[in-house]
Amino acid sequence: MREVFFYLFAFLSVAFAVVSVTHRNVIKGGLSLLASFVALGAVYFTAGAEFIGIVQVIVYGGAIVVLYLFALMTMDLKSFGKEPLRTVSLAVGGAVSLFLLLSILYAGYSFYEGSVPATISGAKELALPLFYRFLLPFEVVSVLLLVATVGAVAVGRREE
Amino acid sequence: MTPFDFFVLSGLLFAVGLFGVIVRRNVISLFFSLELLLNSANVLLVGFSKLHGNLFGEVFVFFVLAVAAAEAAVGLAIVVALYRYRKSVNTEDFSILRW
Repeated sequence: MREVFFYLFAFLSVAFAVVSVTHRNVIKGGLSLLASFVALGAVYFTAGAEFIGIVQVIVYGGAIVVLYLFALMTMDLKSFGKEPLRTVSLAVGGAVSLFLLLSILYAGYSFYEGSVPATISGAKELALPLFYRFLLPFEVVSVLLLVATVGAVAVGRREE
Repeated sequence: MTPFDFFVLSGLLFAVGLFGVIVRRNVISLFFSLELLLNSANVLLVGFSKLHGNLFGEVFVFFVLAVAAAEAAVGLAIVVALYRYRKSVNTEDFSILRW
């Protein structure tokens, strides 16, 4: 049962990712990116990473993609214009990404055997390493978020 | 599921994201592709964390999520400021630093 849902949501995630990259309309691309991230959260759930799945849906789906869509609302979508598709960039992009896909699969081929154990890691299990072993990085990340908030407001502010 | 399945999912997401980074000319679409690249790394981190039975990989995914949120906020502020300045989000219009 776990495998079925893993393959289903993995397929959905990749399919929506393809749509979000190739669609000409940016709003539809953003919405399919949202669907891709939610499906990826479901993939984390099937792998047993419960807390990461929830955080993926909240942060990526609820915060980041919605932030992009809000920023798109302040722009004039009609002024975006057509993107000319160049054969050269299509060929280069296809070749480079295919090469990288093949090299990632080649690197992972030694892990073809074996199975991932079905352990559940919720918030309780994740809290122990996060707040003992990685306490300093956690605090640094909180400072980073503050700096990013102040910096985003400072950069995006309208000049008087 | 085998660990190789995580490799396949991660590789496919990375390939799609890299294709978008190279082909698209719209800055917002470039950001979408960048998020896909970050997510493909997260998939492998979760998979290996499960395979090895310790949670350090998932803690790292948590940090990646926080950094991605910061990157999205600052990057979008820059894009909105650029749009106000140039009235365009096409990367080919941002060529004032080129000589």
